[in-house]
Amino acid sequence: MRDAKIQVCHLSKQFDDKIILDDVNLKVMPGESHIVIGLSGTGKSVLLKCILGLLQADSGEVLVDGEEWCCLSESERLKRMRNIGMVFQGSALFDSLPVWKNVAFVLRRQGMKKKEARDRAQEVLEKVGLPNACDKMPAELSGGMAKRVGLARAICHRPSIIFYDEPLSGLDPVMSDVITHLMRELHEEMQVTSLTIAHNMKLVRAFGDQVSMLYQGRIHLQTPGSELDSQDDPIFRQFIEGRANGPLDTNNLIIKGESK
Amino acid sequence: MISWFEAIGIRVERLCLQVGIYPMLLLQVIQRLSRPPWFFSNILSQCEKVGVQSLPVVLLTAISTGMVLALQSWVGFHRFGAESMVSTVVSLSMVRELGPVLVGLMVAGRVGASFSAELGTMRVSEQIDALWTLSTDPIRYLIIPRVIAATLMMPLLVILADVIGIFGGYLVSVLVLNQNPQVYIEHATQFLELQDLYSGLLKAFVFGGIIGLVSCREGFYCKGGAQGVGIATTRAVVLSAISILIADYFLTIWIFQ
Repeated sequence: MRDAKIQVCHLSKQFDDKIILDDVNLKVMPGESHIVIGLSGTGKSVLLKCILGLLQADSGEVLVDGEEWCCLSESERLKRMRNIGMVFQGSALFDSLPVWKNVAFVLRRQGMKKKEARDRAQEVLEKVGLPNACDKMPAELSGGMAKRVGLARAICHRPSIIFYDEPLSGLDPVMSDVITHLMRELHEEMQVTSLTIAHNMKLVRAFGDQVSMLYQGRIHLQTPGSELDSQDDPIFRQFIEGRANGPLDTNNLIIKGESK
Repeated sequence: MISWFEAIGIRVERLCLQVGIYPMLLLQVIQRLSRPPWFFSNILSQCEKVGVQSLPVVLLTAISTGMVLALQSWVGFHRFGAESMVSTVVSLSMVRELGPVLVGLMVAGRVGASFSAELGTMRVSEQIDALWTLSTDPIRYLIIPRVIAATLMMPLLVILADVIGIFGGYLVSVLVLNQNPQVYIEHATQFLELQDLYSGLLKAFVFGGIIGLVSCREGFYCKGGAQGVGIATTRAVVLSAISILIADYFLTIWIFQ
């Protein structure tokens, strides 16, 4: 049996008295597109940030390529980050840098010459459908364009793992479809492993090889993307059908403690 | 009773954490300074922001202070016929005290607010997290260039402010109070010692470090959205100004000894 590319074991995280993640276990296999779904405020982004080391988990382990990330020093973790791409919910482009410098940021940091890095950035921008955006500033981009630049920045240094944090949030249905197709194409072309946080069921159906539902701090259910509709779990069904009525506890997303 | 002690304990703990983060950040900055990368282009661009862009406000403050100081001290000295000492008071006050403190306060307002607002916005828009994921240490990339720029540029700004302040005093003494220009220049330099200049520059150096460290810390660890950035910016300016005044007192005591 193959080893998991990303393995989360017994991960817990709480803020003050609010338990956000409670003994979360998750495995993402190499080349797999894994999507974590769940209601807003259930801690999906916290899970992602704990995996990336942007937040420190209270307990548990995160293994990437079999290596324990929580024990790595900051400098060691920064070195490993070269192998990772991340697409942020709000794109998180650097305002002070033009698009090409945003996209080629890691390449320039790795010492690549300016012209070479710019050419590579141009190549990736063409891949995401923005051939004329090189010299634009982030403030000049629309939401959809900024998302695509964020995607270009995440793949420019050819990482083996890409994390997406709600990649379609704030986009119109057409642009959502464009980005979904782009993600699928890039995933197939680059053979990367990806972990995506999403609400959008269209994206989940189009992009998810495996789907996990985070509910009340735990992975409530995990299923192959192709078997989404055959799941009988009432909580899961209510979520994927987007119904207001059902067993999903929408008022008590945090397990223990008062929501402030 | 126990809850009362508990409440005090929590407050003391919070205070220790808030105060303790500054030396911790300073330690992190010093540790990182010994190893590359140093991001020289960022340091240069921050030096331009702190130094060149602060010149108008700093020079205006300096010239008006020098002019007012000359007028005010002339009123006092005139009462016992020692008008020629005006330039000595202006030069000593500017070089030893007013230059570094006023420039420090002006830079804290202008640059401290800018550092804090910029880093705070980067924090709330996840740009600082993005730096981590792009295998770049944000302390090296964002904080160190700003702290270095503030620390190096402050002494240069203070030297210019001293010169312009003394020149402002000269304008008032010669053109308004009809003093002899030769006497003004002679008395301005005669009683000025090299130690006066050093003490002013030492203060400027320390104040620069305080501004850089405090404003970067406030912005870098800012929480919340636009409101959080606003709070961080206000705190950066207020804490920098207060820290400058406190540090000024202790540095002056130390220099006197």
